[in-house]
Parts: sequence; C-alpha cells; structure tokens
Amino acid sequence: MEAILFYLLAAVTLVGTLCAITARQAVRAIVYLVTSFFALALIFYLLGAPLVAAFEVIIYAGAIMVLFLFVIMMLDLGHPEKMQAPRLADWWPALLLMLAITGSVAVLAVARQLQVPGGFTGISVRQFSRALFQQYGVAVEIISMQLLFALVGALYLGRRR
Amino acid sequence: MSIPLFHVLILAGILFALGLGCTVAWRANVIMMLIGIEIMLNAVMLVFVGASAQWGAADGQIFSLMLMALTSAEVSLALAMVVYLHRRKQSVNTDDFDSMKG
Amino acid sequence: MTTYLSLMLCFPLLGAMINALFGRILPRRLVEGIACAAVFGSFACAALAALAYRAPEQVVLARWLSAFDLAIPISLYLDPLSLSLCVMIGFVCGLIHIYSVFYMAPEAGYARFFALLNLFVFAMLTLVLAENLVLLYLGWEGVGFCSYLLIGFWYTEKANADAGRKAFITTRIGDTALVIAVAWLFQLFGTLSITQLNGMAFLVPGGIITAIGLLFLIGAMGKSAQVPLMVWLPDAMAGPTPVSAMIHAATMVTAGVYLLARMFPLIGGSAVVTAAIAVTGGVTAFYGATCALAQRDLKRVLAFSTISQIGYMMLGVGAGAVTAATFHLLVHAFFKALLFLGAGCVITAMHHEQDIFKMGGLRRTLPLTFWCFLAGAACLAGVPLTGGFFSKDSILAALWLKGGGLYLGLYLLGLITALITAFYSFRMVYLVFFGSDGHSHVGHGAGELKAMEMVLVPLAFLGLFGGVLNLPAYLGGGFLNAFFSQLAGGTAAEGSHMEELALQGVAGVLALAGLFGVHLRYGGAAREARLRDAAQPATRLAAFLLNGWYFDRLYHACLIRPYQALAQVLWQKVDEGVIDDTLDRLAEGLGTGGSLLGRWSTGRVSTYIYSFAAGGALILGYLAWLSL
Repeated sequence: MEAILFYLLAAVTLVGTLCAITARQAVRAIVYLVTSFFALALIFYLLGAPLVAAFEVIIYAGAIMVLFLFVIMMLDLGHPEKMQAPRLADWWPALLLMLAITGSVAVLAVARQLQVPGGFTGISVRQFSRALFQQYGVAVEIISMQLLFALVGALYLGRRR
Repeated sequence: MSIPLFHVLILAGILFALGLGCTVAWRANVIMMLIGIEIMLNAVMLVFVGASAQWGAADGQIFSLMLMALTSAEVSLALAMVVYLHRRKQSVNTDDFDSMKG
Repeated sequence: MTTYLSLMLCFPLLGAMINALFGRILPRRLVEGIACAAVFGSFACAALAALAYRAPEQVVLARWLSAFDLAIPISLYLDPLSLSLCVMIGFVCGLIHIYSVFYMAPEAGYARFFALLNLFVFAMLTLVLAENLVLLYLGWEGVGFCSYLLIGFWYTEKANADAGRKAFITTRIGDTALVIAVAWLFQLFGTLSITQLNGMAFLVPGGIITAIGLLFLIGAMGKSAQVPLMVWLPDAMAGPTPVSAMIHAATMVTAGVYLLARMFPLIGGSAVVTAAIAVTGGVTAFYGATCALAQRDLKRVLAFSTISQIGYMMLGVGAGAVTAATFHLLVHAFFKALLFLGAGCVITAMHHEQDIFKMGGLRRTLPLTFWCFLAGAACLAGVPLTGGFFSKDSILAALWLKGGGLYLGLYLLGLITALITAFYSFRMVYLVFFGSDGHSHVGHGAGELKAMEMVLVPLAFLGLFGGVLNLPAYLGGGFLNAFFSQLAGGTAAEGSHMEELALQGVAGVLALAGLFGVHLRYGGAAREARLRDAAQPATRLAAFLLNGWYFDRLYHACLIRPYQALAQVLWQKVDEGVIDDTLDRLAEGLGTGGSLLGRWSTGRVSTYIYSFAAGGALILGYLAWLSL
C-alpha cells in the first residue's frame, strides 16, 4: 500500500520537476516546482519524517519559492519572446550528464541493496526535537548566526547607491 | 514505512540529475540556474531522510533540516546578487558576465 | 752521450721558449743571438756526439706515458742515420738562422719568427732522434705545426694564411695514415719502440707488412710532398725565404724519407711496398722536373725542384739503397738551402720582384751570389764531380743494379728527369744572372745583402765537395757506405767498376747536354727572343706545366667542391632546418598548446559549471564502474 503511494508521489515529483525545468517562463517553472515540493513533502511523511515534511512545505515551498517569485516580479523579465530559452545545443550536454549521473547512481545503488528493517514507525516530533537540541544544539546556534550573516549580506548587496 | 532504500536512492538520483541538467542548460537565465540548484538540494534531503528511515536514527532528518536552513540563507544572498547584477547590466544571461576572461 | 743528446734537444727548445715568452721585451740583438746560439749549440753537441760515437745507442731520458701495457718513455736512438742527419740539421739550420737575422732585418715580428725557427729545430731533432714511434710522431706534428705557422708568417695577407692552411690540411691526410699505422703496430706487437719493431717483421704475414708499409708511405707522401699530396709545397713559398730554405728544402720535407729509411727493416721486406715507394718517387721526380721547366716565379722553380729531388730520394729508398738516399738527402740539403738563400739574396736585391723573366744581368751586380748560385745549380743538375753528381748517380746506379723491368723503367725515367733537371736549373741561372742590365732595379750591396751573401759560401763548398762523403768504389770506396753498413739497406748492390763508370758517364753527359741546350735557347741573343715569348700568353703545354699538371683544379673539383656542398647542406638543411627548427617548432607547439588550454577560462559561469559537472559525473561513473 505504501509502495503504491510512494510510486505515485514519485511520479508526481518527477513530472513536476521535468515541467519546471522545461518551462519557458520563470513563474510557471516556480509553480511547477512548488507542486513537486508538495509531493516530496508527502514522501518525507511516508518515510517517517513528519517534521521535515512540515518544514519542507513551510520553508521551502512557502518561503524560498515565494522569494524567487518576488525577485522575478521585481526584475520584470516577463516577456517570453525576450527571454532566451535554451536551444538544443544547450540541452544535449545536459542530457549526457544527466544520463551519466543517473546511470552511475543506479549501478551503485543496485550493487548494495539493503534489507528493509522491520519495526520502524517514524520519528515523532518529540524525538526529533530532543535529538536536535540535545545533540546538535551548537549546530542550531551556528545556523542562526549563519542566517544573520545572510541577512546582513543581502541587505548590503541590495542597497541603493 | 517499508520502502526500500534502493528505491529512494533511485528517485533521488533522478531528481539530482534533473537539477543538474537544469543548471547546466539554462545559461540564458540565472534564476533558472538557481532553481536547478534547489532541485539538487532537495534530492539530497530526500537521501538523508531515506537513510534515517533505513537506520531508524533522527540524525538524517536533523541534517536535512540544517540543509533547508542553509539553503534559505544561500538563496537570499544569491537572489540579492541577481538583483545587483541586473541593475548593472540589465540582463540575467550568465554569458554576459565574463569580465574574468583569460 | 746522454748529455749531448739531451742538450741537443734542450738548446733549441729553451731558445724557443725564451724568445716566445720574453722576445718582445728583450733587445733585438739578444733575441737573435739566443736563437742562433741555441742552434749552433745544438750543432756543437751533435758534433761532439759524432766524435764520441762508437756503436748504435739507445738513451732513455724520462718516463712519459705508461698505462697498462703501453710504455712510451722519452727515449732517443743514436745510430749512423740519425747522427748524420743531426749534424746536417744543426749546421744548415744554424747557417740559415744567421742568414735570417739579416734577411728579416726590416721585419717587426722577429721574436715570433725566431721562436718558431727554434721550435722547428727542436721538433725536427726530436723526429730524427726518436726511438719510439710516438715520440717520432710528436716531432712529426711539431714540424708540421711550425711549418704552418711559418708559411703563414705574414698572416695578414689572406693568400699566405690560405697557403699555411693548405699545407697543414694536406699533410694531415698523410698524418692520419701514419697514426693508423702506429695504432695498428701497437695492436699487433704491443710495443712502439722502433728498435724492437724493426726486428719483428718476420712475425706477421706479408700482407699486413705491405699494408703497414703503404700506410707509412702515405704518411711520407704528405710530409715530403710526393704525388698525390704535393700540392701544398709550391704554395708554401708564400712564407719568408729562410723558412722555405730551412723547412721546405733541407729538413722537414726530408722527414718522410727519413721515416721510410728508419722503418726500412720492418717494411722493406715487402716487394710491393718497395715497388710502391720507388714508383711514387719516380713519378714525383718526373712531375717536379717538368713543372719546374715552365715556372716563372723563382721560388716556385725551386719548390718544384725540391719535389723532384725528394722523388729521387724515394727512388733510392725504393731500390733498397738507403745509403744512397741518405747521401742524396744530405747533399741536397746543402745545395737546395744554398739555392734558396741565393734566391733570397736576389729577391732582396730586386726589391721583392720574383718573376725570373723580369730579372737579368745580376751576374755583374751580385757577383758572389752569382758564383754560389751557379755552384748550387751545378750540383742540382749533376754536373760531373760536384756533390750532386755523385749522390744522384749513386741512386741511379742502385736502380740499375737492382734489375727487373720495373726498376729499369724507373732508371730510364730517372735519366730523363736528370736531363730535364739540368735544363731547368741552368734556365734559372741564365734568365736571372745573364743578359743585360736592362731590367734590374738593384740597390747596391747594403750591409745586410753582403752578410747574406757571406753565408752562401760555406754551403757552396759543402755542395761542391760533398761528393767526398761517399765516393764510388773505383775512387776508394764511400765513407757513408762504411758508416751505414750496419743499417738494413745500408749496403746496396755493388756493381763492377766499369759498370759504375759507364753509369756515371751517362749521367754526366746528360747534365752537360742540358747545359748546352740551355745555352742555345737562353744564352746570348736567343735570350731576348725568350723574354718576348714570355710576354705572350702561354701555350697549352706551358700552361699545363705551369699549373702543376692542374692537380689543384682536380682536387678542387673532386674533393673541395663536394665537401663544400655537403657542408652547405648540413648547415642549412640539417643544422638550421632540422635541429634549430625542431626546437623552434617544439617551443611554438608548446606555446600554441598553452594558449589553447587558456581558452578554457572564458570567464563565464556556464563553462565552469560544465567542467564541474563533467568532473563529478566522471568520478561517479568511475565509482560505479568499480562496483560493477
């Protein structure tokens, strides 16, 4: 049952990503990508990571993608005719690389197949937060400082002269 | 919960490849390149979560949370730079910024 | 004896070193005095050694080279052959040194000149006295080197430098053959001592002896200016006249004959070698005489005459008569030096005019020179009872007595050559000294000229009365014959007294016939006709003889032009085209490669992302491949 669900969601993710990368207009790409992120969040939930799934939706789809949209609007790049879409000459090296990487990962993954463990019921929020603040407390502090740096940097880069 | 890690890895691999392809192909628009980077980071997060599911530890999920935080920091800076570059050259085509040539 | 020999070598060497190092700061008279004293000191030692001589003696002076089985000490060998040559060299070279003090009086580079003359005497004495082949070769090379420097003494003129170089390179061909022979002898016998080698001829098969003998012959051909390596001697007349007298008449050019005489016990056993030596000598004698007939330059006549006379000496060695050859060598040294020094007097008096057709009437203006020169010419022609007559005739007699078709043919060739010799020597005398004063630009006997003429006198006496050295059997037997009797080839075949008289009669008649012919053609009124003829362009035959049978042109076409073409090709195609261009193209290629690589840094992010992604894909692919 979970397997079917997983495949379905995987399909949605892939289709969404594909459409995102071949979209002519940036806004459409963002929206496709949001769809794909939603599916991905559900996959996270399936894999027993409810908090990560929630954060995926809130932060990724909710904040980061919206930020992208803001910038696109601000730059006013709208007209598809003016924007250059990649030609075939641009796509074929990308395809080559994609095939190479996919193939390698497939081979590597197939080579070491692991048994599915039994008895895993997912990590609850309590467990997660306990692990986060007890073992990785310092990391949390560092990340918050990191966000401060990013804030300052963004302000500086974006200032009007 | 009984999804084999192998399947998750395959999905993540394909996602990663798609993200890489987007980054490589979209020379014409730097914002699409950044979107490609986002896709790649998501693929990595999927791997971490799948690994934590496989071994029942919370570390994978914690790391994917950290990834998410760092991604947001990186994206804000990157987009600020895009705004700055657009202000200078009125273009988002990465091929136009080649003053480091030679 | 050791003292005499070592002093004999040391005096000229010291003189050379002092003059070379300090000659420019010492007073001129001192430099000249040191040079002459060194050579006369050497002569004194030779004379004392001759007085003290009892038997052949080997003297070891010092250790020189010794490594593994190669032992070459500085050892000298005194036997009749080397002793007689040392005495001759000391005396003749001493006289020439005195002569050159006056001849080179207007010259500024006197220190270099006298240093080289002394060095030459040292090298020649080393060559003559050497007991092993390596020391002999040292002397051999030394005389060649001094000859090169002295021929090109006035090196600022290109022609002189070219002549010096030509001499050196031509003799070098002979030297190479000599070195091959020396090395081969060492490989065969393990020793290079002449006394030992001369006793070992029976140890190796005749073919090898023939080959070694021929190599020695080629070496002698180069140094003694025999056909085909004689092209350098006429051009060597570009040097000062004392040099021509000393080196190219009396001593250096006889070194080849000396070598063959010295090694005669080793190589004389091969009939092929002796025949080759005799044929070389005969052909050269004929060649020299015919060419001397047509020359216009006084010194060139004498140069070709030298070539011819050394050919006679080779004939003597080839006939197995080493005594006769040595006799002729000694007497020739006297009269040829006399002739050259006399020519020097004439040239100085004529203010360096050397064309005999522009001279005349010097009989009255330079009487002493005239009589001495006439004595020399008579010796050269072999006028009866002069020293030259006895010596030349002993060689011809040896040829006749050896018998066999080849040697009789060579005897006839020798007779014809004797006739031509008489002809050209008196032609020279008649054209230079007889006739009217019309052409002379003589400045009268300056002090130097008088002194130079004085030197001619002892040489004239020696030439005229040198015959006493080796009188024929019917006149009481030869001193040299007795002296050389121990040498291999020392005793030639002895004919009956009647045979000897007959042979001498024939030779004497030819000499007088030559004199008569010249008198007809160049004497008195006919002389004017000849002078007028000389002003016309030369006939074909005359031009052929004048240019030395066009040997120079032959060598130029056969050897020099291909060599120059080859050098051109190697220079332009190989050295510049291949070697230089390879490096250039390599450098260029690397530069191009570098700039091609440089095109990778385009400054565009997309390029760098491509490279990054490609690298990552490669690594992943490799890992996947590993796990397959």
